[in-house]
Amino acid sequence: MATIVSGLLVPHDPVMFVAPDAPAKEIADKAWAAFDTCAERLAEQDVDTVIIVGNDHYMLFGTTCLPQFCIATGDVDGPLDQLPGLKRQPVPNHEALATHIAAHGHANGFDWAVARSFSTDHSFSIPFQKIVQRAAEIRGKPIQAIPVYLASAVDPFLTMQRAQQLGQQMAAAVEAFDGDERVAVIGSGGISHWVGTKESGRVNETFDHMVLDHCCSLNINAIMALSDEHILEHGGNGAMELRNFVCAMAAVNADSTSLIEYQPVPEWVTGLGFIELKKH
Amino acid sequence: MKRDVIERVLWNLSMDRFSKMKFKEDPNKFLSRFVLDESDVEKILTFDVKALQEMGVNPMLTMGYWIEMSPDRSMHTYNQKLGSTGQYSASLKG
Repeated sequence: MATIVSGLLVPHDPVMFVAPDAPAKEIADKAWAAFDTCAERLAEQDVDTVIIVGNDHYMLFGTTCLPQFCIATGDVDGPLDQLPGLKRQPVPNHEALATHIAAHGHANGFDWAVARSFSTDHSFSIPFQKIVQRAAEIRGKPIQAIPVYLASAVDPFLTMQRAQQLGQQMAAAVEAFDGDERVAVIGSGGISHWVGTKESGRVNETFDHMVLDHCCSLNINAIMALSDEHILEHGGNGAMELRNFVCAMAAVNADSTSLIEYQPVPEWVTGLGFIELKKH
Repeated sequence: MKRDVIERVLWNLSMDRFSKMKFKEDPNKFLSRFVLDESDVEKILTFDVKALQEMGVNPMLTMGYWIEMSPDRSMHTYNQKLGSTGQYSASLKG
């Protein structure tokens, strides 16, 4: 039986790579260091597989097909949107586990869209390259990664309830997998940020702290109770990515949490929150 | 739905190399492939991202097509067109 042993909630802010020197050095250093801390926590858990729950930014999935949730079961590379310091490269997908999660879902009322080949965007590749690959270096052994993409940035949005259910299904699928993998789940996104709108650059610290409090107290119901209208007004269109947090939290079903870092960075247009989800 | 066809156009202009090339060669001819009225065509040709967003077009697409196809590609100008005085943007290209 494979086991989900831990999780992380982290941002995937591309502006950190495009304009690394925009904020004060002290702030930038703390944000980058948070990725390293996340990698260390992952390495401490001796995980060998990581499921990263991210979302398309209207690049990967065009208007011809917008899946509610998609899992890559085959060949993976990325990111499609290369950034300075984030180059496109092959990703070691755990194809057997990913295929099993999809099949388990299909047998249990979750109609996963499946990508037999997939190019990720930055929502997967930032946590993969900055956390998972770093953890593999620390651990001295490779770590495989499975991309899961939710409809969190392009409407029709996945409902919060479905994101939670999907996380629970992923957990059940991992437990039913015939293997001894130690699995972590990363929720990639948030917190407040406005993408491509006139509010871009606004960071709502009040909203961010509310989300951080709910995440750190494992109050998933409080996050799910946030209406889309409330999130869009107070957290921006980028905060619709809270669905990714909900899915990851439901999958990990943590016993406790640790706030690793929070930095509100208007220069990087985002409230950057890093949380560890712990299992005892 | 009008918003859908505009999103199709903008996605192509953000992501598809052939579409970008054809738009640069002859924007009106490229847009004639799609069911758009004169007002829609005008909004796209003038990069009226504010009007496009007011139609419900996803801001990630207005930003993507602006970065790829607009004359100066400046996010400062993009923000100005939206009526923003903000100096920061979520552009992937600086």
